[in-house]
Amino acid sequence: MKPWIWGAAALIAAVVVPSFLDPAGYPIRVLTLTLLFAALGQAWNIVGGLANQISLGHAAFFGIGAYTSTILLIHFNLSPWIGMLAGAALAALAAYLLSFPTMKLRGHYFALATLAFSEVLRVVASSWTSVTGGPAGLSVPYAADSLALLQFKSTTPYYYIILGALVLICVVFLVIQKSALGYRLRAVKENPDAAEVIGVDTTRVKITAAVISAALTALLGTLYAQFTYFFDPEAVFGIVAISVRAAIIAILGGAGTLAGPLIGAFVIVPLEEFANAALSSRAAGLSQLVFGLMLIAIILVEPRGLLVLVSNGIARLRKGRKG
Amino acid sequence: MSAPILQVDGITKRFGGLLALDNVSFEVAAGDIIGLIGPNGAGKSTLFSTLVGLHKPTSGSVRFAGADITGLKPHKVAARGLTKTFQNVALFMEATVLDNVLIGALLREGVAEARTTAMACLDRVGLAHIAGKTANDLSFPERARVEVARSLATRPKVLLLDEVMAALNHVEMEEIMALIRSLRDDGLTVVAVEHHMHAIMSLCERIVVLNFGRKIADGTPQDIAKDPEVVRAYLGREYA
Ligand SMILES: Nc1ncnc2c1ncn2[C@@H]1O[C@H](COP(=O)(O)OP(=O)(O)OP(=O)(O)O)[C@@H](O)[C@H]1O
Ligand SMILES: [Mg+2]
Repeated sequence: MKPWIWGAAALIAAVVVPSFLDPAGYPIRVLTLTLLFAALGQAWNIVGGLANQISLGHAAFFGIGAYTSTILLIHFNLSPWIGMLAGAALAALAAYLLSFPTMKLRGHYFALATLAFSEVLRVVASSWTSVTGGPAGLSVPYAADSLALLQFKSTTPYYYIILGALVLICVVFLVIQKSALGYRLRAVKENPDAAEVIGVDTTRVKITAAVISAALTALLGTLYAQFTYFFDPEAVFGIVAISVRAAIIAILGGAGTLAGPLIGAFVIVPLEEFANAALSSRAAGLSQLVFGLMLIAIILVEPRGLLVLVSNGIARLRKGRKG
Repeated sequence: MSAPILQVDGITKRFGGLLALDNVSFEVAAGDIIGLIGPNGAGKSTLFSTLVGLHKPTSGSVRFAGADITGLKPHKVAARGLTKTFQNVALFMEATVLDNVLIGALLREGVAEARTTAMACLDRVGLAHIAGKTANDLSFPERARVEVARSLATRPKVLLLDEVMAALNHVEMEEIMALIRSLRDDGLTVVAVEHHMHAIMSLCERIVVLNFGRKIADGTPQDIAKDPEVVRAYLGREYA
């Protein structure tokens, strides 16, 4: 089957599925979160996959999105749709500024620097209580069901809005991949010196990707805040909750591919939800351990991710049948 | 002789305690094919890297097409029309041959036009038939040719070729030499590092010789072959 047929089939399924689910039930909640984290993985994929800059600090941008729109809503009654754009702009600016000190860093050093940046923001969010609510976090004021204020009692509208965001980010990813920027990112990823010598402005290429990725991540932060109604610094600026999860989802599925983060999210998020439901009372942190082990396993078996693993498996089956 | 397009003036490059280039000066006239030779470790590749901006010189300056380009980033140097190939081949290994070359062409045009340019450049080096292969699957001589095509795609005025004939057989070497001559006839200026002396002697109007980072000779192939210091440092008796 051609890739676009897969895409169309998945999209149709995603549009139809809620009509079979209880709009206030648990399954649609899990599904909505899955779509949200698939989108997060895809936004991460723009720097982590296309440029191979493994960021462990995407929570910074996610948190900026969540806090900006919520603070603007609480204090100025500004619609989260506008707050979302403000958050995206702030996150883009943050990514731009962060690019300068991290530009020359490769591998672990880049990962650690981005992680440190998001930790700084988490600490700020925990301490600046007058604005951020401190460690207790913020609640999104609920008035009534309203598209303009992006709030609904039922999960279904969030589901569709977040599905829309996922589609948007996937389209952005595809457009970048096929554009001059995508080619240049590949060059930077594979050989930055050679890329420079044949005319690629590697600095600019990396900054552009980082800024786009950060802005999209912030949009998702706003949607998360509106969807969950309540968040604290740990939930949106958390290393494990957001940064590591975004990276794992993309890497597990297949970094640098369109389908990778989608596959990763559909494996990880439901598993995590059910594992937490089943285990958390008895063994806090066990699910995180399981994910750590899964990640190590995938990196040892097939570092290019589940997508490659599965498609190689299918190819082998076909060969076996023919031969 | 036309006005020099490339002027290298007193370039010195230190790596810590190692003096890789020691006050090297020479000029390249537009339309020339210049050879750059010298023993292993003489500093030839370091000189190329410094000219294109991958290394900042410790001192000295580089003028290109009338402007000072010392310390410019490589992509700016490439945009002005000076680029190089890599001795150990630095292709984008997971990308196709076509995409490798296309990325070079993106310097001056959009993706669609770049694809056409890339095909033309591949055709020029005789590799159009393997455009769809992954760079990783190529033989070393093929990779070297893709490097040449990729740098041609940036539409350089001056091209620095770092041992593109290494590992080539005789026929392939003749093909590359014919290619270099035809590129020159189309207006390209070439500086080539090679260890194949027959090739360099027949290809170049002028040869610059480096030894331990110093320029020890600069002249016609005939002069170079007779130069006692060059013979002692590099050529041996064969050419004396
Ligand atoms: N990045 C670097 N850091 C430290 N030393 C270097 C670096 N690059 C080159 N050198 C040293 O500089 C000297 C010149 O090396 P270079 O590669 O320029 O020689 P070359 O003339 O190209 O030799 P060959 O014919 O073997 O390619 C060598 O002693 C080399 O070890
Ligand atoms: Mg060399």
